[in-house]
Amino acid sequence: MFSNKAWLYYAGSLGLLAAAITLGLFYSSVTVPVPHIVHIILDKTIGFHLLDDVPSNQYSIIWEIRLPRVLLALCVGASLALAGAAFQGLLRNPLADPYTIGVSSGAALGAVFVIFFQLTIVGLGAFTLPAVSIVSGFLTLMLVFGLVKLSSRSLAIETIILAGIIVSAFIGSIISLIISLGSQDEMTQIIYWLYGSVGMRGWSYVQLIVPFLIIGSVMLVTRYRDLNALALGEEAAGHIGVNVGRGKVFILGGASLLTGAAVAVSGTIGFVGLVIPHLVRLVTGPDHRHVLPISMIIGGAFLIFADITARTIIAPKELPIGVITALIGAPMFAFLLIRNRIGKGKKLA
Amino acid sequence: MNITGLSGGYGGPPIIESMNLHIKQGEFFGLLGPNGSGKTTLFKLVSGSLKPETGDVSLQGASLLTMSPVQRARKIAVLTQETNVSFDFTVEEVIRLGRYAFQKGLFKMLSREDRALIDEIMALTDTERFRDTSFFRLSGGEKQRVLLAKALVQEPEVLLLDEPTNHLDIRHTFDMLNVLKERQKTQGLTVFAILHDLNIAALYCDRVGLIHEGKLQETGPVDIMRRSERLSSIYGVETWTQSHPTLPRPQLLMNPKKQDESVISLHESVTVEADRNLVKISSPKPLRTISNGVAGEGIQWIRHIANFHVDKQYSSRTPEADMKAWLEKRSLPVEQSIGLMTAVKTEMAVIRKETINGIAFTAVVTAGTGNAVDITYDGPELEREKIGTINTFLAVDANLTDGALVNACMSAVEAKVQALRDEDVRDPQTGTPATSTSTDALVIAATQQGKRTPYAGSGTPVGRGIGRIVYEATKEAVRADRRWKETHA
Repeated sequence: MFSNKAWLYYAGSLGLLAAAITLGLFYSSVTVPVPHIVHIILDKTIGFHLLDDVPSNQYSIIWEIRLPRVLLALCVGASLALAGAAFQGLLRNPLADPYTIGVSSGAALGAVFVIFFQLTIVGLGAFTLPAVSIVSGFLTLMLVFGLVKLSSRSLAIETIILAGIIVSAFIGSIISLIISLGSQDEMTQIIYWLYGSVGMRGWSYVQLIVPFLIIGSVMLVTRYRDLNALALGEEAAGHIGVNVGRGKVFILGGASLLTGAAVAVSGTIGFVGLVIPHLVRLVTGPDHRHVLPISMIIGGAFLIFADITARTIIAPKELPIGVITALIGAPMFAFLLIRNRIGKGKKLA
Repeated sequence: MNITGLSGGYGGPPIIESMNLHIKQGEFFGLLGPNGSGKTTLFKLVSGSLKPETGDVSLQGASLLTMSPVQRARKIAVLTQETNVSFDFTVEEVIRLGRYAFQKGLFKMLSREDRALIDEIMALTDTERFRDTSFFRLSGGEKQRVLLAKALVQEPEVLLLDEPTNHLDIRHTFDMLNVLKERQKTQGLTVFAILHDLNIAALYCDRVGLIHEGKLQETGPVDIMRRSERLSSIYGVETWTQSHPTLPRPQLLMNPKKQDESVISLHESVTVEADRNLVKISSPKPLRTISNGVAGEGIQWIRHIANFHVDKQYSSRTPEADMKAWLEKRSLPVEQSIGLMTAVKTEMAVIRKETINGIAFTAVVTAGTGNAVDITYDGPELEREKIGTINTFLAVDANLTDGALVNACMSAVEAKVQALRDEDVRDPQTGTPATSTSTDALVIAATQQGKRTPYAGSGTPVGRGIGRIVYEATKEAVRADRRWKETHA
């Protein structure tokens, strides 16, 4: 089914992910030996006892704190990278990413709303948070598209980004408005949440994102042929047999689902969806059959590494993870923008 | 393919209104029309990019409008003017996209048959060379070939083309259309093409339709393009129709706004110089000519006519090349010159400038009659001398159509025959009155000034003038030739 080269991509990216997970569990102020980590995970998951003398405090460090943190970073990274790859493919726009086109801000507004007003929609329970985030993210996307349609006929690269920034700025001010209505304490908490973090969330947040990650990734990964065809443009894709309308609904829906859920559990972590698909395409080429799944794997690994950096670089204090991704992502965004201009959209890896 | 009662547009008033069109299986149909005539809208309605308001498009009875995109893509492929491919796909990956509608199974993989077909089409379109090259790196013409390959791997029954050769040079245009024509012949492919270039359309289409303001004005074989008034009114540009020199197809010529309005006086501006090497006639403005010269034959625009003196023994297998060399030696531009040759002494050329019935004429005749022939002789083939010929040049200050140029030839020849008869020139072999020599040449030149006239026969002032001046000049030239022969006998 795959060429040898493709197997190599998957093996390499999975190896990187395994390394990231191991390092994420191992590397911290309190060192837990790797055999202990393996023992704890095996014990907790399948009840298998590898070793005998593992102290119980290590149990709670690994199982209650580090593992959910690593898995959350994995899920969020995978979601954002996949959503970014899908947005880029659909919009034929190498600069598209949940953050740059405003979906993240929209989802954040929904999340802030839920958190600040302590909303719970009957029947959804804890899923109120991701559900509201997803819906507000999707509505924001529609708003951005509406703005683009009104301002120019084509979905030009720069116009989409510009519309995304306009909408983001507007939504940012609404969020600021909501925050300033609250107490000093709430303000700090929400601002910190907005910068993005996967720490101190626990298993409940992992449970919140996993269903959406599964549904969203199935919706997108199965559409890889449509995304490839859309490289020709929507009209030409239709001519070779793509049901463009249905494809767009699936892709935008899936990407919004992933973005909304990711923002709901971790705040706005920018540029993952921009950087990762680019790096992946440099290696695998533009075929979405590989770009989508490998972006997920690498995105997950990347965010675990980013999280490790965030919590160790100024230890014992923690940086928001969004700071790390933005420090890497924003210059990359600028670089791509410049290259895009120079190459007139030609040399987009 | 049947288009019935099709109307549609972009929300506002329909751009295409109740259109009916039948395209036969296996034909190359060209849709022609000016910008904004609705060509592209019709194209979008047919290709499914735009939903029609009313009407139907059907293929062999099956409506295309109700088909799913996949079903439609198995029957119809589309090639447009320019498609940008985002991301760095290779040529082969782009071509493979054409098999989208055919991939089956859970993983939608390409089958061995798919791959064989892709290879075959890549060979056909000469795209194998850049199989693994990035699509971006190709030139415009190469890109279009790749996109053509993508369309052909769809194995369509109908191929829709929207100005596919718009940005291509002549070679790439012809390459592409030749492939399509070949495909039409071998696979029975039906081609429905919007073509911008009327002459290309005339060369490749079996039938054409002229669309204007959302309505089909005419449909029929390419010969309907000969209705130049129709084209002129639709496009708002003066067009002339000509026949292709080697193919039974029309070609169009367009008139720019009048450029050269300068008027010349035939007698003053057109100079005639005769010496012992040649008679040279030069005009500051190109003259419309019809001739059987060694160089510059047929209907041309010419500024110089050179009648070279050659030796009696001259005999060459390559008279055209010799003529070219002689013209070049005299700094006469070959492309704007007519070259004639004669063994007669060119300094004895008869030059006449006359105004008859208010029309200016110039006639230059060199005559030798040693080779005079009675065209009506029907005996066995005779051994004839090759020297001695009558070269007639006749310029008239008139605006003649191509037909009038032929008329003028007739008038000039009739006058020459009468002159030979009145001078009692005889065919030395048969003793009967001669009608010409065996190698006569004729050049008619018109200034194309004044009102355009389609006639120059004996019933018109132009024709009668030609008759008179050619008759007199020929007689004088024959007499001069005789005198020279008598004195040099």
